[in-house]
Amino acid sequence: MVQIKKYTHNIFLDIILDKFERILLEKRSSLKIFLSVIRALFLRELEMRFSTGKSGLFWTFFEPFLQIFIFVAIRVAIANSHGTSANATNFDFAVFMASGFTAFNMFRHTLSSSAGAFIANQGLFVYKQVKPIDTLISRLLLEFFLTTIILAIFLSIGLLFEYENTIPQNILMVFVSYIWLLFFSFGIGLIVGVGNAFFMSVGKFISILSFGLMILSAVFFPLSSLPPAVQDILLYNPLVHFMEMVHGYWIDELDTSLVSYSYITAWTIIPMFIGIWLYNKLEKRIISL
Amino acid sequence: MIRLENVTKYFETKNGKKYIMKDVTLDLPNSNIGILGRNGAGKSTLMRMLGGIEFPNSGKIISDKTFSWPLGLGGGFVGNMSGKANVKFVCNLFGKSKQETNQIIEFVYDFSELGNYFDMPIKAYSSGMRGRLGFGLSLAFDFDYMIIDETLSVGDARFKKKAKEALKKKIENCNVILVSHEMKTLQEMCQTGLMVNDGNLTFYEDIKDGIDEYTQINKTKGK
Repeated sequence: MVQIKKYTHNIFLDIILDKFERILLEKRSSLKIFLSVIRALFLRELEMRFSTGKSGLFWTFFEPFLQIFIFVAIRVAIANSHGTSANATNFDFAVFMASGFTAFNMFRHTLSSSAGAFIANQGLFVYKQVKPIDTLISRLLLEFFLTTIILAIFLSIGLLFEYENTIPQNILMVFVSYIWLLFFSFGIGLIVGVGNAFFMSVGKFISILSFGLMILSAVFFPLSSLPPAVQDILLYNPLVHFMEMVHGYWIDELDTSLVSYSYITAWTIIPMFIGIWLYNKLEKRIISL
Repeated sequence: MIRLENVTKYFETKNGKKYIMKDVTLDLPNSNIGILGRNGAGKSTLMRMLGGIEFPNSGKIISDKTFSWPLGLGGGFVGNMSGKANVKFVCNLFGKSKQETNQIIEFVYDFSELGNYFDMPIKAYSSGMRGRLGFGLSLAFDFDYMIIDETLSVGDARFKKKAKEALKKKIENCNVILVSHEMKTLQEMCQTGLMVNDGNLTFYEDIKDGIDEYTQINKTKGK
């Protein structure tokens, strides 16, 4: 017989209150477990980045610099061949590139690390409290953390060398765009992760796809610079909306008139539901893969 | 107590389903349980199921006890990280405080006798060293049930003895589920037995009966 604590003089009320307390306690402890697992996995992923040779960490920070350098150089070369100044546009191209590439890289890296999350952490599922999705979430958080550091580095460089428009025009909305992009990446990443756990080729396909996406996602050019017919086609790609959002809210001269919020809301929610549904169905199989 | 309710577990093979247990309903009382069975009968699968990291195809396993991770194969370590970092990770996983973590690290360092290797990446370890680390680590945590898969055979003769002594001391306060092919060890450590054989699960109140039965089966199958 279960002992029931005495809260009031009414036995029925006591039973209800007791039940309520039990549920609360149980929920709290499972949240606590979840948080300590996420924390442990996050620290482990971080440590692995630092410990697997210095090259991994070097590339994490050097890659965006290289991308920006190359695309700014191309831009200057094109401008020179047209006989115009590289600053024909009203905004600073380095700042434009930095904001776009940091956001896009976050998506790209999240997707590729999600793809490998379940396979690479197979050994950890011997610990009962580690659920496969925890490994994916911690990798997502790590990418976000690294993105924040990279952004901080860019901002300091921008301020130090007095680039124009280093500080976003609308800081809050730039932040919202990044977070939104992260949620979008989570949904897609979850589907890819589950898919990759059963079909290895999914991960390879994604890495090829993400390179193509870089060209088609308005990362290094404003969408408004293209003819309207091309714009319409590219706008089917949800990433274009995210890039336009980041650029539009960051750069004074650009706006977000081409962004369809309902379109990216659908692209965020639907994959997330599909991903969670798939994951729920297959979680046990992933654990004992 | 561990309760199995209509548990069925099978693996899909080319020749149809291979059953490890078929519609088994059992109550396992709190005791040190030795698991018997021939190679490939499904002992490890059974342990993984009891530990909650493998799931029945149908039915339920219910228990309000806590179980350790299955100890033995040295899984759950990251090759690129040092032994110390791996221990720290598991402590974080279990939400240990900084102070507790330091105590555990010290304990594992002393017990595993890894010396300088403790700060080196695990991929440089021999399998015996890995086993020592894993065994030391599991001793540092408290569970109602320790799940052990032949780990007692880790390391050299001296360490084996030490591990056995440590485990004996540990199971004064908790129970153990042990897979071993050494009947002597089973008899020494366990009171009750559980045999996996041809899709059947048989519980023995006394491990001796289990061992007798198992020897009998081995004799007949050997012929």
